[in-house]
Amino acid sequence: MCECCVQNNKDIYLPAPATITKRRMLNGTELYLHLESDSGKEMEYTPGQFVEVSLGGIGEAPISISSSPTQKGLELVIRNVGTLTRAIHKLQVGDKLGVRGPYGSTYPVEQAKGKDLVFICGGIGLVPQRSFIRYVLDHRSEYGKVTVLIGTKCYDMRLFREEIAMWQERKDMTVMETIDEAHDCWDGNVGVVTTLIPKIESDLPKSLVMVCGPPVMYKFVLMALAEVDVPQDSIYVNLERRMKCGVGKCGHCQINQHYVCQDGPVFRFSDLANVPEAI
Amino acid sequence: MSVNTISKDRFKQFVEALIQSDQRVVGVQARGDRFVFDDLKAADALRLDYDVTILSPRKYVLPPKEPLLKFDGRASYESLQESEPMVLLGVHPYDMAAINQMDLLFSQDEYDNHYMCRRKKMTIIACDVATPSENVFAASMGTATVDSGYDMLLTDIGDAYVVEAATDNGKALMNLMPDARPASEADIEKRQAVWKKNEHDLNKHMLECKPSFLPKLLEKNYDHPVWEEKARLCYSCGSCNQVCPTCYCFDVQDEVNWDLKTGVRYRAWDGCLLQDFATVAGDHNFRKDRAARFRHRLYRKGKYVPGKIGGQIACVGCGRCITACTAKIANPVDVYNQLMERTDIG
Amino acid sequence: MSKPRVAIFDFACCEGCQLQIVNLEEEIIDLVGAVDVVEWREAMSEQSHEYDIAIVEGSITRPEDEHRLQIIRSRAKILIALGACATIGGVNKMKNNFDLNEVKRCVYGKDAEMPHLATTTTRALHEVVDVDFKIHGCPINGEEFKQVVRDLLLGKKPVIPTYPVCVECKAKENVCRYEYDEICLGPIIRAGCGAPCPSAGWRCFGCRGLVDNPNVDAAKEVMEKYNLTVDDLKQKMVLFNSK
Repeated sequence: MCECCVQNNKDIYLPAPATITKRRMLNGTELYLHLESDSGKEMEYTPGQFVEVSLGGIGEAPISISSSPTQKGLELVIRNVGTLTRAIHKLQVGDKLGVRGPYGSTYPVEQAKGKDLVFICGGIGLVPQRSFIRYVLDHRSEYGKVTVLIGTKCYDMRLFREEIAMWQERKDMTVMETIDEAHDCWDGNVGVVTTLIPKIESDLPKSLVMVCGPPVMYKFVLMALAEVDVPQDSIYVNLERRMKCGVGKCGHCQINQHYVCQDGPVFRFSDLANVPEAI
Repeated sequence: MSVNTISKDRFKQFVEALIQSDQRVVGVQARGDRFVFDDLKAADALRLDYDVTILSPRKYVLPPKEPLLKFDGRASYESLQESEPMVLLGVHPYDMAAINQMDLLFSQDEYDNHYMCRRKKMTIIACDVATPSENVFAASMGTATVDSGYDMLLTDIGDAYVVEAATDNGKALMNLMPDARPASEADIEKRQAVWKKNEHDLNKHMLECKPSFLPKLLEKNYDHPVWEEKARLCYSCGSCNQVCPTCYCFDVQDEVNWDLKTGVRYRAWDGCLLQDFATVAGDHNFRKDRAARFRHRLYRKGKYVPGKIGGQIACVGCGRCITACTAKIANPVDVYNQLMERTDIG
Repeated sequence: MSKPRVAIFDFACCEGCQLQIVNLEEEIIDLVGAVDVVEWREAMSEQSHEYDIAIVEGSITRPEDEHRLQIIRSRAKILIALGACATIGGVNKMKNNFDLNEVKRCVYGKDAEMPHLATTTTRALHEVVDVDFKIHGCPINGEEFKQVVRDLLLGKKPVIPTYPVCVECKAKENVCRYEYDEICLGPIIRAGCGAPCPSAGWRCFGCRGLVDNPNVDAAKEVMEKYNLTVDDLKQKMVLFNSK
C-alpha cells in the first residue's frame, strides 16, 4: 500500500472476516446466522442498519442486521434468492465469511423514547424490525406501549416462531400475527397485515410506526395508517434497493435524490414526499 | 500562482523532457479523425489544438475496470491499489470541472482511497480550448474556463503558451521550462481574450436558463411528457453514460482463478441507462421503464448530484453524449430547454 | 470431492468455438485440472453417460440431431449452449429463409436426395431442449468462456451481459458507425464480446443475438435519421439470424 493509503488506513470496500457461530433454517428459504467477528471486536451499530456480506469469488450483498446492539455478535437472516445467498446457505457453523459495515440510517431509537411504538412487519420485513424490537425490550422502561404486527404469506413461512411466542407471553408488549392464506395448523388471524391495524390499542396518531415488508405492502399499509390519522412524520419505512457498495458511491441503490445505502434504508415517510421512486 | 509565457518550440522541448522523466505521461493525440487521451511517446504527437476527445480523462481518474481487492477463499481479503504517478496533459476546462466534482464525490462522506490515492499521484496540465467541438455547450454550463483543480494551465496565444502554475506540482513542472519568462501584460490580455472568446464560442447548444436554475426546473417536471417522447427511441445502450465525464456509477464483480479459491474483486463502469442497473436479487427491477432511466440520468446531472456537491451542476457541457447517442436523443440542453418552454419560471 | 464431469458435444457447426477452447493453450491445463472431461470428440475417444456439465456447440438441423440432443439433456445436470449456432441458430439458420428442397439442391446438386443429407429447419438448442446458460458469439470469446466455466464450478450464476455492444464499443473509443451513416447492429446486440468487429473498423454483425429487451420500435425513426431504412437493418441481421 502506498503512503497516502497508509495515512487513510481504511479501505471502505475491504471486508473483515467473521465466523458463523450459530446457524439454523427459520423456514424453507430463510437462514438464520449468528456471526462473531474474527478480530474479537464487536461491531458498533444501531437498529435499522445493514452490512455487506462477502464470499470471495462469489460476491457481496447487503443484508439487514437482525440482532440488537445490546447482545453479543451479529445476527443475520438470509433469504435464498441469488447466487451469493445460495452459497451462504451452504455454509456451516465454523465457516467464515467477509463482513463490512454497518451502513445506512437507523431507526429513531433516541427520539422514540417515551413514545408508544408500533411495528408493522410483512414477511422478511420482520428481520430488520426485530433489531429495534429487541433493543426496545432491552431498554423496556424507556419506551411506551409496544405493539408488533406480523403478517406472513403462509403458515410455513413464519419466522422466529419461538421468539414471537415468548413475546406474546410478555405483559409489557402486544404481538398480533396473521397469515395471508388459511392453514390447518393455524387458528389465529387470517388476512393481510393491514387487517390488524384496527386492533391496535395504542393511541395511533401519537405513536411512532415502523413499517417494513415487501415492496407491494407499503402502499396498502401507508393508506391504512393515513385513514387512522397517523402523521407522516411519525412513520418510518425501511426500504431495500440494490445497495452494492454500501458507501454512497456506486449509484445502484439510488431512488431519486437519495442513496438508500446512506440516507436509508430507514426513512421517515414524510421525507419521502418528493421521492416518487421510493414506494 | 505564477504566470509565465513559453514559446511553442520551447514547450515542445518541455514535453519531450517530461516524456523522458520517470512519470507516465498521458496526452491528447489524434486517432483517425478524432482525438483521444493516450500514453504520449513523442512530443510531436501531442495535439493541444484538439476539439474534444472521444472519452473524457475520467478513464484515468476512474479506470473502466479497476481491482479493489484480492481474496483467498471466502473470508480473506487484501486491498489492492493500482496507481502510479501520472501526468495528464491537455485536459480541457469542462473535463477539469468534471474531475473536480468527482474528487469531491469520492472524498466526502466515505473516503474512497482507491480513487483518491490515484488522484493524488496525478499531475494535471489543463489547457484552454483552442478549437470548439461541434456539440460543446460548456459556456452554457459555466465551464468554458476553469480556475481550480489543475496543477498547471496552458493557454494558446498564437505562437506561445501562457503557463500558469497553480500548485507546488505545477511549480516543479515550471522548473522544467527554463526558457519560460514571466508573462507580459500583453500576454495576459491575450489570455483574457481567449477566455472571453471561449465563454462565447463554446456554446453550440444554448441552455435557456442559468445552470443554477436546473434543480428547480427539474423539481417541477418529474411527470413531463418529454421523458417519454425522448426515451421512446432510447436503445438503453448506455453510450451517454460511457462517454460522460461526470458519470461515476460502477458495478462490482468477483473474478476467480482456476483454483476456484483466489481471485480479484473489480469495479467497472456501469450506466444508469442500462436495463438492469436497478435490478436486485430476485430479479425485481426498480427502474424498468426506459423513460424512467432516461429521466434518471438528466435528474442526476441537473438535480441529484448537485444536491451532494453544493449545487454544482453535474453536466459540464462537453457535448460527448450528443455525439455518442445513436438515437440522437441524449442532448441535455434540448431536454432542459423543452422543460423550460412548458414551465412557469416564477 | 470428485471433480465435476464435463462433456463437450457438437452439432451443425464449424467447430470453431471448440477450437477457441483448444486455443486457451496453457489455461486448458487449468481447465482439465479443475474438471474431469469425460467426453470430447474433438480431443479424445472416450464416451460417458453422465455429466455435470454438457457444453454443446452447433445447431439442430436433422431429425436425429434432435433425439441425440434430448439424450444429452437427460444426462446433463447443466447444459450450456456454446457459440452462435447453438445459442441463436447462427449462420446455419439462414437456410430457413428459403425452400428447404431448393437449399438442398443448391448445396448438394445431384446428391441432394441421399438419406444422410435429410434436413429440417434449423433450430437453436433452446428451441429443442431447456438450455441453462448460453455462451454467445461467433466464435465465442475465450475470456468469457473461462469466466462462465469457473463461475459454474464455483456454484455461481455466470454474469452474461444484458446490455448492448455499444457499452463495450464506446469503452474502446470507437467512433459510432452510424456517424458515418453505416448500419451497425451494436445497439440491439448483446455485449460480452468486447466489440472486436467495430474496433477493427467493421460493423457489429450480430453474432451474439439480440439483447433481452431490444428497442425494435425505435428502429424506423432512428434509421431515418441516418437516411437508412429498417429493411437495410433487417438485411444485416440475416447473416446470424440474430434473434
